Amino acid sequence: MLDRRKFLSTTALAAAALATPAVLRAQENRLVINSFGGAYEEIHRRLVITPFEQMTGAKVEVVTAYSADMLAQLRAQKDAPQFDVAHFSGGLETQAAIEGLLAPIDPAELPNAADLYDFARAGLSKGVGPTYSTAVIGLLYDTGKVTPAPSSWNDLLREGLGEHVLLTDAASNTYGMLGLLMMNRVAGGTLDDIGPGLDFARRLLEAGAIVVSKSPEIQQNFAQGVAWLAAYAQDYAYTLTKAGLPVRFSQPEEGAAMAPITVNLVAGRPNRELALKFIDFSIRPEAAAGWAEALRYTPTNRKVQLAPDVAEQVVHGEAAIARLVQFDPLVIAEKRAGWNEQWKRLLAR
Amino acid sequence: MTAPLSARLLGGLIVIVTGLVMLVPLAVVVAASFSESAFLVFPPRGFSLRWYGEILGSEAYLSAAWTSLRIAVVVTLLAVAIGTPAAIALSRPATPWREPLAGLFLSPLVLPTLIFGIGLLMTASLFFGGPGIGGLIIGHLVICVPYVIRTVTAVLSRADPRLEEAARCMGAGLWQKYWHVILPQCRTGIAAGAFFAFNISFDDAVVALFLRAPGVETLPIRIYSQLEFSPDPGVAAVSTLMILVSVLLVLLIDRAVGLDRMA
Amino acid sequence: MSDRITAAARRESLALLAPGIAVLLLAFLLPVAVILVTSVRDPAGGLTAAHFAKFFVDDYYLRIAWRTLRLALAITAVTVIFGLPLAWIMVRAGPRLRFAIMLMVILPLMTSVVIRTFGWLVVLGNGGLLARLGEFLGLDGRALVLMHTETGVVIAMAQVLLPFMVLTLLGVLRAIPRDLEEAARTMGAGFWATMRLVVLPLAVPGIVSGSLIVFALSISSFITPSLVGGVRLPVLASSIYQSIGGSFDWPFAAAQSVLLLAATLAVIIPYTRLARGRT
Repeated sequence: MLDRRKFLSTTALAAAALATPAVLRAQENRLVINSFGGAYEEIHRRLVITPFEQMTGAKVEVVTAYSADMLAQLRAQKDAPQFDVAHFSGGLETQAAIEGLLAPIDPAELPNAADLYDFARAGLSKGVGPTYSTAVIGLLYDTGKVTPAPSSWNDLLREGLGEHVLLTDAASNTYGMLGLLMMNRVAGGTLDDIGPGLDFARRLLEAGAIVVSKSPEIQQNFAQGVAWLAAYAQDYAYTLTKAGLPVRFSQPEEGAAMAPITVNLVAGRPNRELALKFIDFSIRPEAAAGWAEALRYTPTNRKVQLAPDVAEQVVHGEAAIARLVQFDPLVIAEKRAGWNEQWKRLLAR
Repeated sequence: MTAPLSARLLGGLIVIVTGLVMLVPLAVVVAASFSESAFLVFPPRGFSLRWYGEILGSEAYLSAAWTSLRIAVVVTLLAVAIGTPAAIALSRPATPWREPLAGLFLSPLVLPTLIFGIGLLMTASLFFGGPGIGGLIIGHLVICVPYVIRTVTAVLSRADPRLEEAARCMGAGLWQKYWHVILPQCRTGIAAGAFFAFNISFDDAVVALFLRAPGVETLPIRIYSQLEFSPDPGVAAVSTLMILVSVLLVLLIDRAVGLDRMA
Repeated sequence: MSDRITAAARRESLALLAPGIAVLLLAFLLPVAVILVTSVRDPAGGLTAAHFAKFFVDDYYLRIAWRTLRLALAITAVTVIFGLPLAWIMVRAGPRLRFAIMLMVILPLMTSVVIRTFGWLVVLGNGGLLARLGEFLGLDGRALVLMHTETGVVIAMAQVLLPFMVLTLLGVLRAIPRDLEEAARTMGAGFWATMRLVVLPLAVPGIVSGSLIVFALSISSFITPSLVGGVRLPVLASSIYQSIGGSFDWPFAAAQSVLLLAATLAVIIPYTRLARGRT
């Protein structure tokens, strides 16, 4: 059996020989990580990956894979993991940790972890890596169309906005799900009962709300002047602002949801030392400040100093962060499949 | 034979409507690539070539294009090498289990590529130590071979079976028979099949989405990532270049085998 | 003697088929088997029908399945309706017109589905090209917004798949001898009668295999339907993708794909039988 497997893989290798890039050759001093593609990946390289390579002399191989794809790949590779470090956003790391795909870390192994807010390092012993930045889910609005500026989640129901309200699919988009959970919370629901949130969304749909599933569609709808108000992320508001659109982010009085971005240690890989070094390098204050400056993510390291213009557009500081809502990722992981079923039935025509 | 006026008018209408439907979405993308603004919107604002400069200086796009090209070439060669003999055999009445085998060979066409990608990923992880470029090539191969088989079979179904018979009667050896009689008959089918195979492999975003591995990022995946996270007119610029390459390729094929022999 | 020839011919055929069969076994049947097994396994490793039962718990997934089939049939019909005359015009046209049509059919085929679909988003969407055209013609602002409608999906998918239909038909129509049409005309048949009685029947094999490809590709594609149709018009392929990427329910995804496969075969098998009967 072993021989046959060897033979088959040799055949496959021979077929691929023409096309195999040199980088796939096994290397000792090498890490394989995922990043999220596009501008994010470029900034990731600039802030963390390239400086890390220069500092350690290690080679870091980057694969573009979003959280969902990453979890799928880790699951599929369970017996022979190919990644050393996995980046997740929006709570999937908890699911991965429960399944044993990620390895626990002793906080003492990460010198920079001491500077993190408590929530950002709470899961280390369970396999959930540190949170190096967090996205914030609140309201995006067109400053020319929505006056006065929205200050509450209930403003989504404001008279006259109807067809110009934009919702994001809660089943396929984590930000969309967090928006739904915030509506649910404001409407009196809990994680055990998202009925009020679904009713809230139903009223929005009946008023003509647009539903999209990907962030480019949000951009397009704002750019075409169709969408005026949306439940989405602080960082995306900045993307739209940069693109020249009159869009601002508002943190509603009831609070905004946190979507942590984590850097995790994959279980069952040989080079734990180097991977931990990379994780520690990812959570140092300079990196968090860079993320805030480049993409408007909220820093999780106490030592971060922000420039005034950045500070104005980013939720930051101990007091402000305390007001953010973090939904229990374990409960989310457990209930999400059920919510998805309800949400899909609400949406489908 | 001349068609009546009604038929000519209807034909003209169909050509025009189809032309619009086929080309306007591409024209929109090309137009967007010259936009000055930092986001994709139509009609584009201003005129600028800066997005072309950006993508041609982008290591990520260039290496993805190189990866896609190599994979597509390998897949095309293998698909032709495997599909052509299979099609020849499937065209012969004497071949045992012809019908079920033909069904089997064409069945990757009816299996959703998405599911196939997942199945391959699970299989690769279970038996071959995870996905990689080899898995991706094999994945593309399986979805490309049926196209070669279809096009070659279609050509052979119109060929005269007695030619082969005659070659044998006249004492042609096995290799002579293939080289001088059978393969020339297959030529247009092979060209069309190779064309399909190259295109499917080069375009595929689905199998590649599941079978990508460290260091293996194809151009469609790169574009998909870009569209997913931060679309800018650079994506339109890349596709405009791809359209240009296509035009060139189509013209080359026209030179080589004649475009109207491609079907 | 003739037995020996037959045996040799069989061996020759099997040798020709061997590499293809090897690839199919390794890279096609095995993955399909893995999916089949996944669709009926419970977490403990035993057999279960629970993943299939989930599909039938209410009419939500059945409606998705019905929409998938309906859209695929509509797309196939549209590509036949446009592809057949187009292919015939190409066969009968002069070289210049033929080349122009070929180019316009092939160009979209050569571009990435992601890009073509993006083009459609801009054409069909709010404030898009078609909506502007509607405003220009004095129609209601949203009348021509086909984004997130089934009509929009059919149009966008037809553009993506028409090349497959035309290229397939072209090969078959070209093989129809011009003399046959001439003969029909000489015997008094009009243009339309000649089309119906001579060209159409001879084109059936092309229509069948073209439809097969278009139907199979449209039923299995998810990028165009999910981007143009949006989340409120789910089709089976996007539901399967959602089960994998959104709910992480792989066994249910496997079960849905088994059902999708079964539905495809249920349409395609009688279709090929029918076509064979007619020729």
